[in-house]
Order: sequence, then C-alpha cells, then structure tokens
Amino acid sequence: MALPKRIIKETERLVAEPVPGIEAVPHEDNLRYFDVSIHGPAQSPYEGGVFKLELFLPEDYPMTPPKIRFLTKIYHPNIDRLGRICLDVLKANWSPALQIRTILLSIQALLGAPNPDDPLANDVAQRWKEDEPGAIATAREWTQKHAAP
Amino acid sequence: MAPSRSSRTSLQSVDLRALDYLASPSANLLCPICHSPLITPVQTRCLHTFCSACISLSLERSLTCPVDRKDLSHDDVTPAPIMITNLVNDLVVLCPNRERGCGASCARWLVESHVREDCGYALVKCAKDGCDGMVERKDVEEECVHEEVGCQFCELSVRRLDLDSHHRECPKLSSECPHCAESFLNPDLSIHIADCPAEIIDCPASHFGCPYTSPRSDIDAHTSNCHFVALTPILQLHTERITTLELENRTIRQKLELLTPPRPLPTPSSSTTISSSSNPPANDGSSTNRDMTSEMQDYTYHLYSEYEQLRADVERLNAQIRELDVKQDMARINEGLRYNDEMTGMRAAMNGLRMQLHWLVASRRETGAGSGGAGGGASRSVAGGSAGDGRRMSDSVRQVMKL
Repeated sequence: MALPKRIIKETERLVAEPVPGIEAVPHEDNLRYFDVSIHGPAQSPYEGGVFKLELFLPEDYPMTPPKIRFLTKIYHPNIDRLGRICLDVLKANWSPALQIRTILLSIQALLGAPNPDDPLANDVAQRWKEDEPGAIATAREWTQKHAAP
Repeated sequence: MAPSRSSRTSLQSVDLRALDYLASPSANLLCPICHSPLITPVQTRCLHTFCSACISLSLERSLTCPVDRKDLSHDDVTPAPIMITNLVNDLVVLCPNRERGCGASCARWLVESHVREDCGYALVKCAKDGCDGMVERKDVEEECVHEEVGCQFCELSVRRLDLDSHHRECPKLSSECPHCAESFLNPDLSIHIADCPAEIIDCPASHFGCPYTSPRSDIDAHTSNCHFVALTPILQLHTERITTLELENRTIRQKLELLTPPRPLPTPSSSTTISSSSNPPANDGSSTNRDMTSEMQDYTYHLYSEYEQLRADVERLNAQIRELDVKQDMARINEGLRYNDEMTGMRAAMNGLRMQLHWLVASRRETGAGSGGAGGGASRSVAGGSAGDGRRMSDSVRQVMKL
C-alpha cells in the first residue's frame, strides 16, 4: 500500500527541521519503521546518555498511536524491562492531531520528570518512592553503563 | 482541442489527498489529521476545522475533538464556512499525470475535470472497437497498440505496444557488437561478445599492478614477456600467505584482548593530567599503524591512570599520617599539663603538711622547755621520734610523687 502523504510529510519535516536532542530516521526498506535516538534531558539522571528506541507507524496511523519501545536499557519507573513506555498519549489519550515529533518530545519530557505514582516497572517505582536519591543514583549508573554515546 | 479528444472521458480517478501543490499552502489551511490542505472542510462545535473524511474516521474511534479533547459527537460537526472551502478549492495544484509528461496546473476544483476531459496524458479507453486496453488520450487517434501483430522477421506475434522491445531480442534480427562493429544475430551476439578479439582487455596480471591494456587479439604477445605475469605464481603465494597471517594475527589479538584485564575508566582528574603529561596522539601515523598506535596509547593511558591512582593513594596516606602525628602531639601535651597540675597540687598539700608538722614540733618544744630537765630529755626524745616520723612521712609522700 502506498505511504500516506501525511507520513511522507512528517518524515520530511523530521529530517529537515529536527527536534533538538531527538533523531528519527526511517528504514530504507520500510518507511513506517523508524530508528529513534533521544538524548537524556539536562539536569536529569539520564543526562549525557543517548537512548535508542524503535518506532512503528501501524497501518491505520494516525487514527491509532505509533508503537514505541526503548531498545536501550533504562532505569525509570514508567519504562519496564522490555522497554515499553507508560505514557497516556501513547494509549487512551492518543489523538490523530498528535504526531511523531510531539510524541518523542513527550517521551523526552517523561525522562526529565519520572512519575512513580503511575508505574509500569513496579520495583523501580517502589524504590523511587522510598529512596529517591538511591534510585536516581542507579538511573545515573545505568545511563553511564548502557546509554553512553 | 480536438472534439474527438474531449468526447472520450477518462475514467481515471483523482485522489485529491495525493495531489502536489504549486506553492506550499498556508499552515492554517491544513487539516490537523492528514496534514494536507482541507478537503471538504467541516467545523466542530469547538470551532476546529478538519477534512470531512478525517474527522469521521477519528470519531469512529474516540468521541472527542482531536485538537482539544473536548467531547464531540457526529452531530457537532457542520460544514465549514464557504470562505474556507473556497480558499482551499482555489489552491493551484499540479496535474496528477505529471510523471507521464503533463505540465498543466490548475485550481484544485478544476483538476478533476482536467483529467476527465482535457489532459492528454490521462488514460482513456482505446478507440478500436472491441479492444479493452487503455491508452493515453493524446495517442487515441493512432492505431490500436493492443492488437497483436506478427513480427516481420520471426513470425512471432506480439502486441504493437511491445514491438520495440521485441525487436531488440528477436532471434532473426542482428545487432552490432559494441567492440568490433560487426553484426551478429541476436542469439549469437552474447557468445561473440564473450571473446570478441577487438575488445580492449586488461593484462591478466593487472591486479598485481600491470597497467597494460590492449585488444584481446594482442594480449598473448604481451603476456609472453610481461614481468608481472611471470611473477604471478610467486605473488599469488605471497598474497595467500599474507591473508592467512592477517587472519592469524586477528585471532591472536582477540585472544590477547580476552586475557588482558579490563581497563578501569580513568577518573576525570587523572585523565587531564594524562593528556598534559603524555605524548600527543600520533596523527601522522599511517592508517595501517593507527590501530596499533591507538592500542598502545590506550595501554599507556591505562598505565598512567593506574600510576596516578597510586600516587593519589600515597598522598592520602601521607596526609593521614601527618594528621595522626599532630593528634598524638596534642594528646601528649594535654597529658603533661594534667600531670603538672597534679604535681603542683600535691606540692601545695605537702607544704601544708610540713607547716603543720613544724608548728606541732615547735609547740611541743615550748611545752617541754617549760616542764624541766628529766621531763625535757624524755620529751626531747619523743619530739625527736615524732620529728623523725614526720620526715619519714614526707619522704614517703615524696616517693609517691616520684612514682
């Protein structure tokens, strides 16, 4: 099936005017599949790390949200061991007026503001609530170990 | 415009969403869902504008406005103001048959009629009766390209459309060899090209550096006295040996990497001292040596960082020792002061005792002198005894003090 004009336009814009700290490059053989890398936001435990993600635009995008998963290991209360992300706009709060660019920005913001009250990785969230400095130290350690650019 | 042309309508459908626009339209005229200029614009109760088809699809999944997430039902969607509809319909688009050669552009609301009635590159039904083929409108007056015609050389029947490509490979036709300009029948041509004597070929030892090229027919004369060809067996042997050695070298290096202990990351402070103290990286090294050099450099960095760590350790220990020395000195001085105080206290107490003793002895003497001779001798002996006791007592006190 031909690629919808919207996807072509979004891809062109992502390449022409990239969001600072975010790169999204489509696969040559499948233009619905993107290799994404997000730089950890400054003043967060993920600062200095570059996190790889995969993004797939399903057949009925933009009526359904893109499928996004972290490929780099990350210690975060809203991201589980398999890299799945707990973010409302990726699920119930998706709107077809959102786009790849806005979603990736939301994920970058989630790195800057972890939300342990809506956890996906229960053990991490628990630790985040009980021993925040310790959890942040672990997140920093994981960033150094797994997300070094 | 020929009347016969406009009489044939094209059934080709136009996908408005796939159109290309002459100028990029204002962002205000784009649908927030499909990001294209609005098609049949509609407006929601919350005053957002979408393509009619886009918002219908969206409402099937979620009864909210995609822009502000306010509740929305199908009844809350009404046609957008005529002005918006006119604005998007007047946008100039390029003909969808542009890739086939049509250079026309027109307002969007006219593009469908352009393709249906006018466009020379739109596909229309073939003019010949009974033919189901499609042909570009500009070619419709010519003879039907779909009917089968016999090849005039080989009796095979092909569609007129494919005749040109057939002629290029028809077995009864001959083509020219690109090297010797001789003509051959198509099936024989490829056999001929494989050993055409006029083809310019490289010396067989060209990959060892022989720059000689000549037509195939002359290459034998060259190979018989080419030095490179003569050396080929030896050079071949060398190349093979180098390859095996490289392979071996790589495996050995991998083993070495496994055996050497993992290198700790140098701390920022030590890495800065390294960069200032160690040699600058060898940029002039050839590319083959670079790997080796960088490996050595890594190792040197590693040694330096370890050395720096050890030096830092020694410095820390020295500082600790100095601190302990000072502490001990302080403790000793404090202790000495305490003993001094105690000693003065004791001395004062002893002086008090001595004074008392003197006073006692003196008063005894006075009473003894008053009572007379015999009594005086006895009292003297008593006084002498008690005086001796007093001295002994003070001696023992002194002894305690000494201890």
